[in-house]
Amino acid sequence: MNKLFNWILKYPRVILVVTLVSSAALFFVMKNNSRMETDLDKYMPQQHPAFVYSDQAEEWFNINDGIIIAIEHENGIYNSGTLQKVKDLTKALQQMDEINKKDVTSLYTADNIIGTDEGMDVKAFYKRVPQSDGNLKTLRQNVRNNDMISGRLVSESETVTVIIAEIEDDVFTQEFYKNILETAKTYEGPENVYVAGRPIVEGTMALLGPADMKRMVPIVLTVIVLVLLWVMRSFKNTIFTMLVVLFSVVWAFGLMALINIPIYAVSTMIPVMLIAIGVADGIHLYSHLDLFMLKNPNTGKMEAVKDMLAGMWKPVAMTSVTTAVGFISLLTSQVYPIKYFGIFTAIGVMMAMVFSLLLIPAAILVFGLPKRKPKVGKSEKKSGHIAYRFAEAVVKNKVVTYISIVFIVVLSIYGMSKVWINSSFLEKFETDSDIVLTDKFINQNFGGTSTINVILESQDENVFKQPHVMQLIDEMQAESEKLTLVGNSFSLADYLRRMNKVMHADSVEYDTIPESNKLIAQYLLLYEMSGDPENLWKVVDYKYNKANITLQLKSDNSKAINAAIAVVDQFVDRFQKFGVSVKYAGSGYKGLVFTDLILQGQITSLLLSLIIIVVLLSIMFRKISIGFIGAVPIAVTAFISFGIMGLFDIPLSTTTALISSIAIGIGIDYAVHFIERYKINALETQDRTKTIQETMHHSGRAIIFNALVVIAGFLVLLASVFPPNRSLGALVSLNMFTSFLGTITIMFILIYASNIYFKNKS
Amino acid sequence: MNSLKTNYTLILFFIILPVLTSAQEKPIGLEVMQKVYDRPDGNDMQSELAMTLTNSRGDQRVRKIRQFVKDMGQVEKKIMFFLSPADVRNTSFMNWSYDEIGKDDDQWIYLPALKKTKRISSDSKSDYFMGSDFTYDDLGDRHPTDDTHKILRQENLNDEACYVVESTPKNEDYMYSKTISWVIKDKWIGLKKEFYDEDGELLKILTVKSFSKIKDYWIISESEMKNVQKNHTTNMKLQDIKIDFGIESNKFTERMMKRGIK
Repeated sequence: MNKLFNWILKYPRVILVVTLVSSAALFFVMKNNSRMETDLDKYMPQQHPAFVYSDQAEEWFNINDGIIIAIEHENGIYNSGTLQKVKDLTKALQQMDEINKKDVTSLYTADNIIGTDEGMDVKAFYKRVPQSDGNLKTLRQNVRNNDMISGRLVSESETVTVIIAEIEDDVFTQEFYKNILETAKTYEGPENVYVAGRPIVEGTMALLGPADMKRMVPIVLTVIVLVLLWVMRSFKNTIFTMLVVLFSVVWAFGLMALINIPIYAVSTMIPVMLIAIGVADGIHLYSHLDLFMLKNPNTGKMEAVKDMLAGMWKPVAMTSVTTAVGFISLLTSQVYPIKYFGIFTAIGVMMAMVFSLLLIPAAILVFGLPKRKPKVGKSEKKSGHIAYRFAEAVVKNKVVTYISIVFIVVLSIYGMSKVWINSSFLEKFETDSDIVLTDKFINQNFGGTSTINVILESQDENVFKQPHVMQLIDEMQAESEKLTLVGNSFSLADYLRRMNKVMHADSVEYDTIPESNKLIAQYLLLYEMSGDPENLWKVVDYKYNKANITLQLKSDNSKAINAAIAVVDQFVDRFQKFGVSVKYAGSGYKGLVFTDLILQGQITSLLLSLIIIVVLLSIMFRKISIGFIGAVPIAVTAFISFGIMGLFDIPLSTTTALISSIAIGIGIDYAVHFIERYKINALETQDRTKTIQETMHHSGRAIIFNALVVIAGFLVLLASVFPPNRSLGALVSLNMFTSFLGTITIMFILIYASNIYFKNKS
Repeated sequence: MNSLKTNYTLILFFIILPVLTSAQEKPIGLEVMQKVYDRPDGNDMQSELAMTLTNSRGDQRVRKIRQFVKDMGQVEKKIMFFLSPADVRNTSFMNWSYDEIGKDDDQWIYLPALKKTKRISSDSKSDYFMGSDFTYDDLGDRHPTDDTHKILRQENLNDEACYVVESTPKNEDYMYSKTISWVIKDKWIGLKKEFYDEDGELLKILTVKSFSKIKDYWIISESEMKNVQKNHTTNMKLQDIKIDFGIESNKFTERMMKRGIK
């Protein structure tokens, strides 16, 4: 290896040019070929049975996410102006290319099933906007009398009405999003117009997240550069440390573009990982160089570089390989974007290693050694004393560390038991943001902005014309509506109850499921004859052996969805008796399954990479005990990370779960550098005190620099306006800190206590 | 002399033809549609209607209906009995349609499971007929004077010489913004019809699949309506057609609805 370095060091200029040119080339590939994947469905594992089924059910019943536009008039909506707006806005939405005409529901398009003296009628609430007081009153009375509309399309307070436009998954674009918001705005005054619904939440998130990142990343980088300057006290060192990070990011994304893999939302985490991990190599190399120069002030640059490479290539390579392997364990995930995230972060980490070992030495040879200010020597000595004293203090007070670790682990396990998964999109926003307030407003006035679809299916045709089956559905709806977070539910049972009541002169006692199967069949025929049967196909299929029950929820968080599912699950056995199976569908449900998948994968790969790292470290240091000792900081970091999430009620989400892999990447870096230095010192001195002092001075110093730089950089994200980016910043900083602390305390003590590398075991 | 005469004829032709055609354009469109509307189809008819509904996924439902129709001068009365599916057997439907302009149809339905006859008020002829893709108007109820008509062109369709007539409703609130009909010249049968929705987009296409001469009347025995926006199709096929067999006038009563088909 040293031969290879010696050979390379002969051509430093060539190395600089080659790295620059190849990185520039990849940068252009990246610039021209990269594309962002915005279709959320592309993120889902298409073959997963839950998704296959949900997609199928969505097609059967034309289940789509709805954009909800609420129109509020303080004095009530029953005036011709507001009704005109409902009509105009409905038509405007129907005109949009992205929306199918039949998928817009409002008071203007809704069917009104009404009882007449002699029978029943299904007609529109209005076609021409009613002008006279009498007609307006009639309309109001019609809505009040109709449970299928009142509370669903018009609020109980009669001051708000909604228009729901369902859109298919693949039509949502930024332009459409802006268009919808702008269109809605033009209808304001004196009415207030609100826009909500899952597509809007997703759209806002897709817009806000990256926009916020774009604003924050330059600040993060500036802070990192400043702190690097402060700890390295050299422009050159800072620049080349950052160039290593920059080039590794360019290579990761360039290669991605080269083989035509789109950028997924999680891929935006790759630079985050590479910044946190990539600066470490530079810091450790330069730190080693500094200490060497301090001891040997008069050596030439070639000799200094050679010493640096000889002493550091091993730990740099080892840390990079273990980190990369840790990320490659993400290949076990079922979710493709996560697999790609793992692979390309691993590639980036390996490239960071290559660049650190090539670019940094080459740069020193070409541009000279970093200039040092005279007073630095003094402070180095001082820091040396601090390190020595710290090392001794840790060893002396190891009981404190042991107790703290036990305490922390116990507390973390308690915290971990409280960790919950959240697939909610809405809860990623500030609680006082427009989108959350709008959602709250609509939830207060209507059944709920989120939905989950319960899909019932049977082999027998016409099973959903059987009274006992329909009664069970009705009972299940009533039971689920007892939950405060289930605002409303809707199924074929609602149609049947409504028609039964209407056909019996609006008598309340007939607001039930008809007793005979023939009567149900005949009501349904009657409905088809009088109304628009298209509406029926949203709740039941053509052959009456599949049914769709929509539960409207006041929240899209996982707790809410799971609570609703729990109620429905109680009915599974009873449905089974009728040969009816119960399954779920809809984007809320898919989101829940998806999050579960990501987390399962994340936990599996976390455990897997921990095992791999123990094995790798054991092989690298040829001692199994080292494998376990080296894994301690990672384990501590992971424990604390999950523990704090539980204790502070930070739910696991795709972002927060991925951050746990940073614990591995960084934890392993610290451990490897520390152990390698410890080993070198131990073999050199055979003196335990001296070894720990020197190791703390050498590695401890680099580790604290590394931690300082990244923590400072990521703390900047706390000022972000997008909450997920804030938790990202907080958790990365936290992980850096605990890894650092774990390495220089518990791992330090363990390795000291283990007596490894000392022949004299006394 | 000869050539002069030809010249005069030519001049006459060129001057008069445009005048004639422009003068005739309006009446001709209306005339065509009036002839379709007035095409004699007997005083009474009974038949078995098989209505096949096909949704966008290709699922099908078939309904069999025994129907009786009688033209009683100012009013046309129709009674229908469901034969299948079994759970709606003997559900019956009666419709009285009046010639008088502005007078709504009277409609009744009898649900055997409820043992009650109910009126269904139909204030709109744009209601769909029994869950099919046909509205009552589509089935031939709409009077030609409700629209203005224009002959677009003449062309052959299925080897039949046709007038292609565009009809625009006089009432702007009507469910269609326009329809285009292909009418067979000598038979006055609408062979095909396109329906455009309120926004001018193609909504439905009606195709006549077969027609035949029964007792000197041209009778459409199979037609298909496809809603291209919903991708839903209705096929209506008449079998066992009997014309002018003399159906009693008292066949069309609530009592008969309740009695059903044995």
